Order: sequence, then C-alpha cells, then structure tokens
Amino acid sequence: MNFKLIGLILITFTIFVVYAIFAFVPPVEGLGYLVRIAFFHIPVAWVSVLAFLVSAITAAQYLKTRNLKYDHLSAYSAKLGLIFCLLAVVSGAIFAKLTWGAYWNWDPRQTTIFILCLIYGAYLSLRPTIEDEDRRATIAAVYALMSFLTVPFLVFVIPRMYFSLHPEPVLNSAGRLDMDTVMLYVLLAAVSLCSSIYCYLLAHSVSKKFTCTKEMKT
Amino acid sequence: MQTLKSNFSTSIWAIFRKDLLCEFRSSYSIATLIMFALTALSSVSMTNPGVALSPDFAASLLWVVLFFCAMAGLSRVFVNEQESGTLIGLRMYASGQAVFIGKFLFNLLLLLFLSCFVIPLFVLFFNIDINDWLAFIKILILGCTGIAAVSTLMAAIVIYTHGKQAIFTVITFPILLPQFLCAVNSTVKVFSGLAPEGLLFMFGYNLAVLAAGLLLFDYIWHD
Repeated sequence: MNFKLIGLILITFTIFVVYAIFAFVPPVEGLGYLVRIAFFHIPVAWVSVLAFLVSAITAAQYLKTRNLKYDHLSAYSAKLGLIFCLLAVVSGAIFAKLTWGAYWNWDPRQTTIFILCLIYGAYLSLRPTIEDEDRRATIAAVYALMSFLTVPFLVFVIPRMYFSLHPEPVLNSAGRLDMDTVMLYVLLAAVSLCSSIYCYLLAHSVSKKFTCTKEMKT
Repeated sequence: MQTLKSNFSTSIWAIFRKDLLCEFRSSYSIATLIMFALTALSSVSMTNPGVALSPDFAASLLWVVLFFCAMAGLSRVFVNEQESGTLIGLRMYASGQAVFIGKFLFNLLLLLFLSCFVIPLFVLFFNIDINDWLAFIKILILGCTGIAAVSTLMAAIVIYTHGKQAIFTVITFPILLPQFLCAVNSTVKVFSGLAPEGLLFMFGYNLAVLAAGLLLFDYIWHD
C-alpha cells in the first residue's frame, strides 16, 4: 500500500473539512459558534468507541487463530483508542465548561467515556507487565474480551444513576434525524475523516511492524 | 487405582477444601483482610468523630472498603500456588473450570466472612440504621459474588505479571464498575429506608461474569 499517497489525501481531506466547519456551519440557537466543537468532539468520541470494538473483535480473532498480527492490531487499536478517548474527554470538558458552566459533573456521557478511558488505561498498563510475547497476547485478549462484556451493563446502569444535560445524539431515540442538512453533511464528513485517520494509522503500524519482522527473518 | 482426572464436582470440592484448610492453618489472608478493613473504617471514623454520614456517603464508603479489602486479599489465590510451586500439580489434577469454580467459592466465602466482620463495625462506627436487613443482605451477597468472580479471573491473570498486587487493582476495577455502581446505588436506597432496586441487574451481571470467566479461564490456565 502506498501510505504516503493516502496520507496526503487525508491531509487534503482534513483541510477541506476544517474549512467547511468554519465556513459553512451556521451558528446554532443557544450555542452559537460553540457548536463547532461538536464537529471535533463527536467524530473523536465515535472513533474511541470504534477502536474499542475493533480491539475486542481482534482479541477474539487472536484467541481463535493465535496469529500475533491480531494481537498487534488489538493492542494498537487500544492505544489509538486511548488517545481519541482523551481527546474526546478534553473537548467534551471544554464544551461543558462553556455551556453548562463546569468542566466535569459526572454526566452519563462523561461517566461512560471516563470508564472507557479507565478500561483502555488498565489494558495498556497490563500489557507491559508480561514479558513472554505469546502469553502477553493471550492474557491481553482475555482482558479485552472481559472488559467488552461490561459495556452492555454500563449502558444499562449509567443512565439510571445520573441526570443528563448532554445534547441528544444525532440520531435521537425516536430514530429521527434532526439537524440542518449542511451541518449533517459536514458532520458525516468529519466522522468519516476521523475514522479514516484511525484506519490509516492502524494499517500503517501493522504493515510497518510486519515488514520489519519479515526482514528480520530473511 | 483412582484416575488422575477425578470427576468435576469432587475436584471443585477438593480444591475448595484444600484452600480452606491452608487458610485455617496459616490464617494468612483473613488476618490481613480483617486488619485492613478495621484500619480503613476506623481511620474514617476516627477523623470524623460523631459526624452523621449521609446515606450516599455511607453506602459508597461501605463498598469502597469492601472493594479495597477484596483487592488486598483475593489476589492471593493463585499467587500462593505459584510461590509454593504447586501450580503444575493443580493443572494436572483438575480441569480449568473446576479450578476456577473452586477458587471462586473460596474467594466468595472469604469475602462473606469479611462482610460479617465489616458490617457490625460499620453500623457501630457510623450509627447507620438499617430497616430492611433482608434486602441489605441480598445486596451484600450479590455484590460479593461479583467481586469474587472477577477477582478470581484477574488473580489468574496477575500470576504472569510483574508487580502483581498493583496491577490487580488496576485491572479489576473497570470490569467491576457496573456492579459497583449498582451496589452502591441500591445500598443508598436501603440506608434511606426505600425499597432497593437493581438486584436483578446484579444477578444478571454475576451470571454473565461467571459464564465469561468459565469460558475464558482455559486460555489463561493452559499455555
């Protein structure tokens, strides 16, 4: 794969999306231009969840096939996930300060993303404590699956415990889209951009890692 | 001659009894656990003499103490075996599932025993009024089951790591969180004299964690 070319395309895409956010998105009633933060916050939060899902799926794949490539995918996905997760937390906290008046108030969404951070942190601090490569891969995979199991429970328990101020997600509970069409397109572009950056970094690291091992073997 | 792999329930019982017997002889875990609980509870009570705790704070204090006691004591079940060099024997003797259940039952018993010590102290120190004891005990049992199940699996994980004790707490907490939040929430309800909720949720969580533990344990146990 030609990573340089894809990287260039992604950079162009990023410039285009950033321009679109500043040029086309109208101020929203009650939020004004602060709504721009959402175009960073939503994609980043989405990717942090996506990375978690990928990490769990590849962990299961590893246990099935014992191919170290899946372990690397799972670990790197978790690493990226943690970075995106922290970005989501920070951008969310800034947005919260500007609109609700406090950086942190244990809103259900904040709690959820915080727990996601905790899980990523625990997973990533578990890995370096195990020396043997195969064993590390197996144990990390078991842990990733185990932490994935708790997610449905969290989704059930958290909204019942805390009161929420968070704006409705784009797709609200009635399954209806309520957003301006321009905003929606820009948001979709931002989400796909963020997801492609994630996929790009993941693919890049895997190819780098595995061409290195091939070279070492020959 | 008896076969090497004895049947499932016998091996669970044997492992459980063996751990209990070792504990009786050395009283290694339980002494530490009780002193840990006493230290934690008394340090809060000592520094706030005569202060009436709100139900919210009391409930979270109770669960924080129980959780950290569990973290201090329950990681030992497999580390002990490793230090005395009996892991291989255990692997040969029984299937992974039997080991998991046996160790889980031992951890559960340890925690329940600890609760029998913590609860009276807690009520004494903080003047808590509990009207609905039955509901409270149900919450305790469900909560302890969850903690024991997750800790057993994580205890098997930490035998391969450096810095066993520290990493044990770090990796157990996120997985226990749903249970922890729900347990605190329903304990608050009991302390404020309301009907508890979320018992079914805790039961479901315990079942899921136990099932996942049984499935995943083999991957850790056998190389």
